Amino acid sequence: MSTGEGARGNAEKYAKVDRDVLAAMKRPGRAYLAGLAFALLLAVVLHVLWAYQVRSGLGVVGKMHPVMWALYITNFVFWVGIAHSGTLISAVLFLFRARYRTSFNRAAEAMTVFALMVAGLFPLIHLGRSWVFYYLLPYPNQRQLWVNFRSPLVWDVFAVGTYFTVSLVFFYVGMIPDFAAAKQHVLGIRKKIYTALSLGWQGTQKEWRHYNMLYLFLAAFATPLVASVHSVVSWDFAMSIVPGWHTTIFAPYFVAGAILSGTAMVITLVVPMRKYLSLHDYITDGHFESIAKILLLTSLIVTYAYIVEFGLAWYGENIFERETFRYRLLGDYRYFTWTMLFCNSVVPLTLFARGLRRNTAYLFVVSILVNIGMWLERFVIIVTSLSHDYDPYAWGLYKPTFVCLGVDIGSFGLFFTLYLLFVKNLPVLSISEIKEHL
Amino acid sequence: MKRRDFLWLLGVISGSTVMSACGSPNRSAKFTSYLLPPEEGIVPGEASFHPSTCTECPAGCGVLARVREGRPVKLEGIPGHPVSDGGLCVRGQSSLYRLYHPERLRTPMARDGGKLRPIPWEEAFSRVAESLKGSREKGRKNLFLSGRTTGSLSRLADAACERLGIERLPEYEVYSHTGVKEANALLFGERDVPRYRIEESDFLLTVGADLIETYVSPVAYTRSISSARAGGEFLWYHVEPHMSLTGANADRRFTVAPGAERILLSFLLREVVGRRTPKSGLPGELLAAFPETTAEKVSRETGIPTEAVAEIADRLVAAKRPLLIAGGVGTEQPGGLETASAAALIQYAAGAIPERVDFTRSENYRNVGTLQDMEGMSARMGRGEAGVVFLFRTNPVFSLPPRLAFRENLKKAQLTVGMGEFLDETVREADLVLPLSHSLESWGDVEPRRGVVSLLQPVLPPLYDTLTDGDAILSLLGNLPGKGSAGGYRDLLAAAWEKRLGEAGRRRLLEKGYIEETLPSRPVSLDGRRAANGLRDAGPVEKPVKPVLILAPSIRTFDGRSRNLPLLSEIPDPLTTITYGPWISVSPETAARAGLQDRDGVTAASADWKAALPVKVQPGLPDGVFVVYRDALPSPPVRTDRRTGGAVDRIEGVGITKTGKKAEIPILSGSFSQQGRGLIPDPVHLDSERRHKRWTLYPEHEHKVYRWAMAVDLERCNGCAACVAACHVENNVPVVGAGDHLKGREMSWLRIEPFYEKGEVEFLPMLCQQCDNAPCESVCPVFAAYHNPEGLNVQVYNRCVGTRYCSNNCPYKVRRFNWWQHHWPEPSDRMVNPDVQVREVGMMEKCTFCIQRIRSAKDKARDEGRKVRDGEFTTACAQSCPTGALTFGNMLDKESGVYRLAHSARAYRVFESLGTESSVHYLRGRKP
Repeated sequence: MSTGEGARGNAEKYAKVDRDVLAAMKRPGRAYLAGLAFALLLAVVLHVLWAYQVRSGLGVVGKMHPVMWALYITNFVFWVGIAHSGTLISAVLFLFRARYRTSFNRAAEAMTVFALMVAGLFPLIHLGRSWVFYYLLPYPNQRQLWVNFRSPLVWDVFAVGTYFTVSLVFFYVGMIPDFAAAKQHVLGIRKKIYTALSLGWQGTQKEWRHYNMLYLFLAAFATPLVASVHSVVSWDFAMSIVPGWHTTIFAPYFVAGAILSGTAMVITLVVPMRKYLSLHDYITDGHFESIAKILLLTSLIVTYAYIVEFGLAWYGENIFERETFRYRLLGDYRYFTWTMLFCNSVVPLTLFARGLRRNTAYLFVVSILVNIGMWLERFVIIVTSLSHDYDPYAWGLYKPTFVCLGVDIGSFGLFFTLYLLFVKNLPVLSISEIKEHL
Repeated sequence: MKRRDFLWLLGVISGSTVMSACGSPNRSAKFTSYLLPPEEGIVPGEASFHPSTCTECPAGCGVLARVREGRPVKLEGIPGHPVSDGGLCVRGQSSLYRLYHPERLRTPMARDGGKLRPIPWEEAFSRVAESLKGSREKGRKNLFLSGRTTGSLSRLADAACERLGIERLPEYEVYSHTGVKEANALLFGERDVPRYRIEESDFLLTVGADLIETYVSPVAYTRSISSARAGGEFLWYHVEPHMSLTGANADRRFTVAPGAERILLSFLLREVVGRRTPKSGLPGELLAAFPETTAEKVSRETGIPTEAVAEIADRLVAAKRPLLIAGGVGTEQPGGLETASAAALIQYAAGAIPERVDFTRSENYRNVGTLQDMEGMSARMGRGEAGVVFLFRTNPVFSLPPRLAFRENLKKAQLTVGMGEFLDETVREADLVLPLSHSLESWGDVEPRRGVVSLLQPVLPPLYDTLTDGDAILSLLGNLPGKGSAGGYRDLLAAAWEKRLGEAGRRRLLEKGYIEETLPSRPVSLDGRRAANGLRDAGPVEKPVKPVLILAPSIRTFDGRSRNLPLLSEIPDPLTTITYGPWISVSPETAARAGLQDRDGVTAASADWKAALPVKVQPGLPDGVFVVYRDALPSPPVRTDRRTGGAVDRIEGVGITKTGKKAEIPILSGSFSQQGRGLIPDPVHLDSERRHKRWTLYPEHEHKVYRWAMAVDLERCNGCAACVAACHVENNVPVVGAGDHLKGREMSWLRIEPFYEKGEVEFLPMLCQQCDNAPCESVCPVFAAYHNPEGLNVQVYNRCVGTRYCSNNCPYKVRRFNWWQHHWPEPSDRMVNPDVQVREVGMMEKCTFCIQRIRSAKDKARDEGRKVRDGEFTTACAQSCPTGALTFGNMLDKESGVYRLAHSARAYRVFESLGTESSVHYLRGRKP
């Protein structure tokens, strides 16, 4: 690149990257607006139903004695799980210098932040008295009431809070050079906003040196969070004495599951995004193949965890544990369990075939199935364990109502609303990094 | 702006903001404590106890009404009361819901163009007087029908009827015990139910009599059985055609083919007469009325195995002090006369009369008539002979069979006067509705057993414009009492008590609530010839047509009269755990043959009757027998037993067909099997599972002065659910209704779990176990669930945010969540116990061993400068328990009852292996 022609060639390439990526931020088409309107509608449904629930009491959801946790907590764990791959792809793959990361990292980070925002709603929706949610925070108060640090729910507040903060900072820091690039291509109020967000980025050598140090540091800081957040979420269950929950394998099992579901969600989001925004040059089939390998690996880990769980229940001679797993496999919720096993353990095995790994349409279908499977996994763990625990008199069946189903669907609406807004307003690929790799 | 102006403005703005926030419109109803008590005797914040008598069923148990700020908020048994001795059953505990029922009649009403319209009392009584006069002129007969009345009220009704020329008909009760009474009349000339002294016996054989549920005086029987069992050598066998709670609690239960009881008893009679020493003289001709038979033949006809028949006979012959009680479904049937007679003769031959079968203190069922009497009444009305018909606290329209056409014939009377508390099926038909006060608003007395006078006294002014029973009858005589009721029934009573009991006796009655007179003993003699002739003249016994549907009395609703009390629908039936809605119990064999499962809809039909009901498969129920509780079937087609005049409480030749529809009935139990989890362990294995020391990283809880604990003796618990009702009322546990029950959201803090094994059932009361290592506490993020220094897992309701993690983590599943904001419909909000917080929507709630009672006992002890003594107070559940199965106390007091029981060899804790170190100790297995 020492010749002037080379430099000119690069400049052209850089301009093309700017054009292509920032083209995504042009005026939206009809399809986009329709999609956004639909997602927004669902998000409104969520809030209306929540208001209805607060007004009437939690009785409007299907929860009962003994299944006190059900869809809301399922969704919480599901969305926290989705949030997982953002950090994994961004931070961990950054540290490993995995190049294909560049194609996915922005989408994955955005997904993380939005999924966490959605996930964070669920513990609040789920509370019997959500208007006093602040009791859960350790704030100084006159009555010297404090939170119970022995409760995993308090750990949750910290774990998810930390993860959200770090993810948001990481997401933002990664975008600073891109904001600077973007501000040159827009006018009016948007220009002002991007200018403000770019924090006066000039792209000088010194800035880049500091920037790279910060980014590396943040990546290193975020990496342990990949393990910690979902471990802590899994302890919500593992720290209890409910058969089917109380097991030491939960932390790695949940982390693997979270990465599986997060990776699947990344594929679900990026496949249509690439098509709609014509980013085939930047997100290639090879990149998809790499991410599919992560999917396959984590699916194998999750399958291993399933085997261990059932195996221990069978081997352990604990009648409560045994009954819970028998019930999980053969009881009232057996179809959910079987679907879960099919989606999470069987379907991803097809990805051993290279051709299928490179087939984005197929990958899209697999990712949807894995998403369903992972959602069901959380549902199965939560509901089957609670409905058949120690005292047989108190056994009971949970059936969801329109309110919790509506809130569940609405949470997808909220997520996609945020994501669609992201697609049109922020650079969907890391421009600076793509240029770096040119 | 100047600094001065700024500060001035700031002051005005902040001041006005604060002021305006003070007057929130929702908070305008303020609770302020009295500076001066509004009435004498009311000390704000302090409860007073007033003795009275429960009138929920005819048994007449003594109750202490706990009154706070002038309102009764809880009923408890009076210790030492000759009938109930401190116990109170589930219906009695619930009867406050009758007093505060929103649907109570509030004013007199008259029918005006088909509709009932409020009128003043004066007008009501003048109408009655006019009609009485009119009917006398027309030559019609005025009739007075009431439910069972005793004591002064009964005498007043007699006197009033005589003065006004009204014919007082025999009283009407669904459970009239006609078979037993007729047999006793035939043999001994005593048309009454004797008092059975179970505590004096060492072997009890009951035939059909549901002692624990409804039979005559269930609390009294329950207590006597308990004290007999505590005495050691006592054995109780029960013979019944179906499956009842009583049967479930007997030491052995035998199912007999319906109608074959008399065959078994004939055999037993001959065995006792032949083999028992010393030989008893039984007239030969009387014995001849009971055919000779063999154990094998008896076994063939009754379906009881030969060895069992022989064993019953052997026990009866060998027992030192045997007692036999035949009644209920055993005698109210064709052949009931023979069954009851044989039973009475066995008593006679075994020398149980008068020690254990006491006619001196008989149960005062003399005035109660039969179904045949009701047929007569209905026929007379149908012929247009009736003038004014008074229906006083009775509901024949609901309980009489349709063939009597009682409802239709009632219309042919000149005037029908319905007197009661509710617009029930009968009162609804009346031309004139006279609302009566609840017994807690009334002066009166009852005499549930001869020689026992039990007081009724008002503990609150009448809620509505009602008259007490006595005043209502007095008013018929023309002297309408003034508002102060001077010169009314109260004065009459005072005079009557003074005359009967003397000044000291009257005062004692008012103070203690009861008096037991000494009575001259009433010897009975057996007239063999007359009895033999009577039995012969009764004619042959019809053979029952199978399958038989038995209309059983229900522990929750008696004969149906308590069915409108909301709390009783909320508490599960002990055997089936069904709360709301009628059902038909079907034997497992029948269900398997017909492919029926719980909740399947069926049509049950006999030749002239049919009903659609959901199924509950009832283990232990014999094939060919169905059971429906009496309250579930209005106007059931019961026959009249022509031999006694009594009702045959069963429908014969009933077939069921599946409708294919599933019915929604809440069956609260998730599993009727223990699933091998040893909640009620096999006593044989108890010793092998002794606890061992567990190591923990956390510091142990320190308990300095008190550590509250409970012992539950499973051998005593009979599943009667009185504790459940007591807990509901004491702790303001809301009644949530069928909808939430179907979703599994019942709110009861205490439940009785029935576990079946091979047709036998055992009951496990399950309440918060107040664990030392409580799983609920460690998971609560806000310390709403925390461990108090006295070993309780308390719940700070206002701190609870409703994560519900505590409930998930509770292995006993005894925490309840407020899914809704629960309401107490006016006026039942007045029965809310002010000592206990009413929980808001979104909070978790639970049993805390009645912490409000602990607190008040501690306050009292502190005032007196001492520690709380063992037995000084107890929890609501333990207080109500008629069997004494629950013992509450301080584990740190080594002299306390609970310490002794918890350290007995019979003690165990549920899910000991989880290491929760719970404070509820269960006792299992017979005393060594």
